[in-house]
Amino acid sequence: MTKNSSAPAIAVEDLWQVFGPNATAALRDARGAGSPQATAEALENKGLIPAVRDARFEVRSGELFVIMGLSGSGKSTLVRCISLLVTPTAGAVRIDGEDILQASEKRLIELRRHKLGMVFQHFGLFPHMSVADNVGFPLKMQGAGKAERRKRAMEVIELVGLEGREDAYPRELSGGQRQRVGIARSLAVNPDIWFLDEPFSALDPLIRRQLQDEFLHIQATLKKSIVFITHDITEALKLADRIAIMKDGEIVQIGTPEEIVLRPVNDYVAEFSKDVAKGRHARVESVMLRDLPTHMPDDPGLRIGMTLDTALAKCMSLYEPVPVRDGTGTVVGAVQPADLAAALQVDEG
Amino acid sequence: MSLSLTRGAQAALLVLAVAVITRLLGGQMAWLVGWPEALTVPMTEWVGAAVGSFLSVFKPIARFFSLLLSYPMTWIGALLGYAPWPLVLGGVTALGWMIGGLRLAALGFFGLGFVVLSGYWAESMNTLALVVVSVPLALVTGAAIGILAYEYPRLKGPVQALLDIMQTVPTFAYLTPLLVLFGFGPVVGLIASAIYAAPPMARNVLLGLERVEHEIREAAVMSGGTRRQQLFLVELPAATTQIMVGINQSLMAALSMVIIAAVIGGFDDIGWEVLLTMRKALFGQSFLAGLVIVVFAVVIDRMSGALALQRPAQDRRVAWAMLAAGLAVSGWALAAGWNPDGVAAFDGVADRVDDAVGRFTATNGAALDAVKNNAMFYGLLPLRIGLADAVLPFTWGFSWTAKHGAIFYGATAAIAGFLVWRGHLTAGLVIGVLAIMLETGISQLPWPVVIVGAGALGWVSGGWKLTRLVVILLGLILISGLWERALLSLYLSGASVVACAILGGALGLWGAVSETAWRVLRPVCDLLQTIPLFVFLIPVLMFFQIGEFSAFLAICLYAIVPMIRYTRHGLINTPEELIEAAQATGAGRWQTLFEVRAPYAAPTILLGLNQTILYAFAMLVIAALIGTTGLGQSIYLALGQADVGLGVTAGAAMAILALVADRLVQGFAEERRRALGL
Ligand SMILES: Nc1ncnc2c1ncn2[C@@H]1O[C@H](COP(=O)(O)OP(=O)(O)OP(=O)(O)O)[C@@H](O)[C@H]1O
Ligand SMILES: [Mg+2]
Repeated sequence: MTKNSSAPAIAVEDLWQVFGPNATAALRDARGAGSPQATAEALENKGLIPAVRDARFEVRSGELFVIMGLSGSGKSTLVRCISLLVTPTAGAVRIDGEDILQASEKRLIELRRHKLGMVFQHFGLFPHMSVADNVGFPLKMQGAGKAERRKRAMEVIELVGLEGREDAYPRELSGGQRQRVGIARSLAVNPDIWFLDEPFSALDPLIRRQLQDEFLHIQATLKKSIVFITHDITEALKLADRIAIMKDGEIVQIGTPEEIVLRPVNDYVAEFSKDVAKGRHARVESVMLRDLPTHMPDDPGLRIGMTLDTALAKCMSLYEPVPVRDGTGTVVGAVQPADLAAALQVDEG
Repeated sequence: MSLSLTRGAQAALLVLAVAVITRLLGGQMAWLVGWPEALTVPMTEWVGAAVGSFLSVFKPIARFFSLLLSYPMTWIGALLGYAPWPLVLGGVTALGWMIGGLRLAALGFFGLGFVVLSGYWAESMNTLALVVVSVPLALVTGAAIGILAYEYPRLKGPVQALLDIMQTVPTFAYLTPLLVLFGFGPVVGLIASAIYAAPPMARNVLLGLERVEHEIREAAVMSGGTRRQQLFLVELPAATTQIMVGINQSLMAALSMVIIAAVIGGFDDIGWEVLLTMRKALFGQSFLAGLVIVVFAVVIDRMSGALALQRPAQDRRVAWAMLAAGLAVSGWALAAGWNPDGVAAFDGVADRVDDAVGRFTATNGAALDAVKNNAMFYGLLPLRIGLADAVLPFTWGFSWTAKHGAIFYGATAAIAGFLVWRGHLTAGLVIGVLAIMLETGISQLPWPVVIVGAGALGWVSGGWKLTRLVVILLGLILISGLWERALLSLYLSGASVVACAILGGALGLWGAVSETAWRVLRPVCDLLQTIPLFVFLIPVLMFFQIGEFSAFLAICLYAIVPMIRYTRHGLINTPEELIEAAQATGAGRWQTLFEVRAPYAAPTILLGLNQTILYAFAMLVIAALIGTTGLGQSIYLALGQADVGLGVTAGAAMAILALVADRLVQGFAEERRRALGL
């Protein structure tokens, strides 16, 4: 029960999830092969499925961490390992510094009751309970009384904008409304850590955008540590503080949205962002020089946090380096207008 | 050369070889035909001794348990017995209202009203009391088994095997050991029906739990529920629909068994009434009593079936009003001293039914006899003892001689040769085997042919493992001394299954092509499936008296339903795009049916056949009441003599036959499904 306030909210080390008979022993043997790639290959040759391979990353407190990848790349499995819905075959998962693989069943239940919340792709609502009872269910597990449950449930139901539907049953709701219930339920106990497994994938684009905005709004007030899964790059770029890209069970790149867009480590990652308008997602900082050049004749008024599109529009006809200021107006760096244009054209190049 | 043969052809070749050899040498070597007496183990005695001593250990406990159970039985019996009938009527109507509104309320009212007027009120309440006590027992046990199998995956395999076996053991076979264990009396019927009704509940609970969406399960985990909370607060409630189906099936099984258990006698219930009147040949009365059972079955089935459906909430006040009305009428009935036992409003009807049947059989006796005799002499008998013995001057007009044999086999060889020449090697070989079977008769088939034949079928349908299972199981029957009886059972059920397959398949096809036809067939199928087995005996007895043909008809009546249903279901559920593809290539309606729908439906139809086989075996034992030979008769006799050894062994043999047939057909269905990529 070590608790360490400076520790990251979630730390994943060396995590493997292998499906198939005698996975633990098979993994132990296969690791003799050396690199994770070789190990995975050895496992596959034996007919086992290495769904998560040697994953390692940290989620900082208050960070919105997105895991992205194609269908079948192991995203769900990874998040289900972290929430211990499946027991990882090897590795460690620390939540606030506590190794939860070593935790007792009792401790796990306690963690889930107070600290963890989860939203599911297909909602996972209890069909026999009303909206209010669904949302109040985690509180019931905590032992809260009926009135208290109802009160808190109404609060979160309001937060997700479902007031008035609290006595409806899941089958009477639309997809978007159902997912609001799922979100409300996962928030009922006010968890510190929030897992969302493709929460908006089953919804149509309009509702999806609306829920994303509301989600960002909720997160802005609640500031939780979040692991968010999606296979939609626009969604990832819109929401994420950092993104991890998965391929065949492996995390191939972790980085901020602009790093992913501007500096993909390989073609697989590049392929994802091919169709995104980079200028709208990458910011000036990604091409900013910290060493100030001596000669900066123009000042088109670039600011930290400005997107590349906006910045480029401001220095369309400029060729000399221009200064970038922070919120207070202090010059913190400089940008070559040519770099701006180049950054937007990595693909074509 | 043999390498290029298909599996089916290899197997058929082997069987044909064995059949030919035993046919040629059987005359000299009798041991090739009948299993030698000297090698028969006295299985019946052994089992009798073993089970007997086992039972005697548990007897005191059982008797105590029996005593314990007799209390709620008596209470409920007294409660239902003394409860004024208008109150019960009002209660059932109110229940119907709560479950399904006006429709079910009306069903309850008219159903029970019929029972009141039939004059069988007291007997019906005795039956109901047994059901009311046994069903909760069955539900709790069944649910517990289902939950255990779900919680401990390692138990799942064995539990499912056990449930399979419990379902194939014939109903009567349960009764003998229970009789010895618990002694005569209603408690035996109670326990038997609880045992018989538990498996459907267990199956459905397990199925329901397994079908709960995994995200719902995981949501319960992430909410921080303990395992027990997850199960009872989330998973079981989420599986309600399936569990309700289990309750419905459980109720029907219990009712069916309670009525069968009446054979033991001594609790003055409605099943006993049927049996008694049947034995006295009072067909009008037994028909009436049978109708009461059917009414009960329909009311219970429709009401409990509706539980599994989405339904609107009903106004409680109406239900209370119905109860109050019942109470008021009770007051009047009590004051006026009106007692339904004396009513027998339908006795006149019963007499008239008797008369009518009597007159009908008198005037059409010749025709009925002709139907029966033709079926017997030209269908059942040759199947049973073979053309060589069944063809007699008295019926066929000539006797079977070597010359006829030569012609018969010559024709067979010609047909088979033609088939082989056209490239249907397996079909040709199978024709050969069937011809030998027809000439010898199923009940006189040499044992090597049966064992090798079943083993070969097993090899084709499921590989070596299935062959081993089939051969070992059949081998057990062979050495137990029950072989001849088993063959007799095989013959009768085989004949019924073939008849059901042809007729049921045709009806299913008809239902598939014509919506109108299905509108007629469907309620008939529904009704036939609701009626407890026992009741099927009444109409066939009325017209065809006791005998093998009546038994055959009763089996067919009961066992034909799944064949009709599955055939239609398979045929109409072909994926739309396949049909469109066929139509795009210019296929006509019938071409589409036979070229596209039929092959696609094959696995489903095979499953229907499988159900039909199991139904036929179940009914075979009940049909022993009206005269069949074979294992069913042994089981029934064992019950009468409380002969545990014979009862259990014959019951096991029957279960083995059913199990072997089940596995073989399932194997073929599986193979077809794989071939279609389903
Ligand atoms: N319980 C299991 N047993 C065996 N294999 C599994 C199991 N769960 C997942 N897998 C396999 O692991 C791989 C990763 O699956 P996972 O569900 O994590 O993918 P995903 O990235 O979430 O895909 P999607 O976007 O479709 O949800 C897949 O190949 C899948 O078949
Ligand atoms: Mg997934």
